[in-house]
Amino acid sequence: MIAGGLASPRVRNIALPATLLRLFYRLLATLLLCLALSIASEQFLTVGNILNVLRQASLLFFIASGLTLVLLSAGLDLSVGANVGLSACLAGTAIKATGLPLLGAAIGLGSGAAIGLLNGLMVTTLRIPSFIATYGMLWVLHGVAYSYMAGQAVYGFPRAFRQIGTGYVAGIPVPVLLMLVILLVGSGFLRRTIWGQQIYAIGANATAARLSGVPVARRLLLVYIASGAMAGLASLVFLARLNSAEADIGDALTLPAIAAALIGGTSLFGGVGTLAGSLLGALTLTIVLNGMNLLAIDASFQPLVTGVIVILAVLLDMRLRRSE
Amino acid sequence: MRSLLAALILGVTCAASAALADDEVIAVFTKNQTNPFFTAERLGAEVAAKQLHARVIQYVPTQPDSIGEQMSQIDDVIVKKPAAVVLVPVDYKAMVPGVDRLNAANIPVVDATDRSAGGKFVAFIGGNDYELAKATAERLFHEMDGKGKVIVLEGVRGTLTNADRLRGFHDAMQAYPNIKLLASQPANYQRLNGLQVTENLLQSFPDVDAVLAANDAMAIGAIDALEGEGRKTLVIGINGTKEAIDAIKAGKMLASGDYDGFQQGCLAVITAIRAVRHEPVRPELVLHPVVIDRSNYRLFDKPIEQRSCPTWEEAIGH
Repeated sequence: MIAGGLASPRVRNIALPATLLRLFYRLLATLLLCLALSIASEQFLTVGNILNVLRQASLLFFIASGLTLVLLSAGLDLSVGANVGLSACLAGTAIKATGLPLLGAAIGLGSGAAIGLLNGLMVTTLRIPSFIATYGMLWVLHGVAYSYMAGQAVYGFPRAFRQIGTGYVAGIPVPVLLMLVILLVGSGFLRRTIWGQQIYAIGANATAARLSGVPVARRLLLVYIASGAMAGLASLVFLARLNSAEADIGDALTLPAIAAALIGGTSLFGGVGTLAGSLLGALTLTIVLNGMNLLAIDASFQPLVTGVIVILAVLLDMRLRRSE
Repeated sequence: MRSLLAALILGVTCAASAALADDEVIAVFTKNQTNPFFTAERLGAEVAAKQLHARVIQYVPTQPDSIGEQMSQIDDVIVKKPAAVVLVPVDYKAMVPGVDRLNAANIPVVDATDRSAGGKFVAFIGGNDYELAKATAERLFHEMDGKGKVIVLEGVRGTLTNADRLRGFHDAMQAYPNIKLLASQPANYQRLNGLQVTENLLQSFPDVDAVLAANDAMAIGAIDALEGEGRKTLVIGINGTKEAIDAIKAGKMLASGDYDGFQQGCLAVITAIRAVRHEPVRPELVLHPVVIDRSNYRLFDKPIEQRSCPTWEEAIGH
């Protein structure tokens, strides 16, 4: 009954304004950060730099978007960074060996999704808490990637493949277009389909969702596969952009991707959050680094500045919302 | 059939124990499985041991640069009692208690690559980050006729290597008053950071004549960023990785300082074996800075597996 109700237009219309409002404040906080930076640096608001920031944020967003689904279902996926590393290495070596970019792309996406499927099976069938299951998976993936690559890098890919990371369509970088597609398709899925609403319902209260007929295990499986597949997609863009892969290339991305989702207003406890918020979170983290580079802030102060701005940005968002 | 098998097993066991009796075991500790530098160093260690009829056992933390893991690996090794230890400390200060324990167990220790802040060592074998960075930067400034605007990509703050390399870059700049430093920004030795930080810096500083990166990964990231903007800028890095040598060959990169992990691995194990065999060793062997560029890259353009270790005489003749 409720499962049907979750998809009914009435429920959606109540939920939507509240979410939009929250997103609006998140956007306001990001814009204030941009305003401050555009006063400090005249290069910040140039078209070149805006495209530059969007392209840099896209890598983080791909990973954060899959993670957002997992977080919405009240789970966590700690294996995304290691997944990016292994998928990039597998796709990269396949392209080098065969010269077939499409095969490499299929392998990158496939391995990403397969890793997600394994995570999902551990969470649903074996009932291992997602934190532990994906933390274990992180180590397994490291083990496989490190021994597979043996400390070497694979590099030098065909120009056609590199377009995914470095190309432009109508003056807009390809990764930015991919980001927009994922944002629109993903948001549409979450907002406008029963499956999307069921993911929110599982995160809000898994027992209630199960009792009202939501196929919890199948939806969770979908969520972890999506997270893995997005890591696979990120690995391809990574590979195309860097023209190289090493076993550890994704390791530094897991925590920022989780942070991007949380800064964007997604709850660690499930049921609350949006993809647009995660995009704003990824943008916030990217803009901070971009701004520090533009202003050439001394390296010793950069970690401190990053920390303070992230905390201030979220604080500002919370304050704005409360004053409402 | 069964007796044949038994004979076979006996034979293998005897052969194995005979081999064990002859060959000194050298325990080699490196920092991680991800950095190609340490792969080269481990390979150098293996080759040296083979040449001198000794055996190497490698210890590498599963989590890169983990202090806790290297510490417990040291404890394991103390129980197993190898003839000697070659140690690349994951942290030059934090591993000192581990060195103390090896000293207490009377196992000779050779300090390789990163100079430990304390403990007793048979010898230190390594490169000189400062001299190498200085020599590589000088190669660049020479190419620029001593004038132009440069940006620096820094490695991980707080590491000795990075501090020494930056000091080398800056001291080289002192001798060239017409080299102008536009910005020095951290890119954490990572290729992605090297790419993105360079992209960002190019927004602020459209006229960049050269990029000095504290390692090759960042240098190659910078090259990708510059190519993306359709610019031709001189780029140097440090480490002499295979990818950097390929970039030099393709004319995309000017030079790379050769940090030569293979050679460091060779000399560390040779020193350890000599110490075990009571042959004289040098308390310190520091490799001379070698800069790889278009004039000499051919010497380095071959798989590391095909390189051979220098003899002791060649090594001390450096």
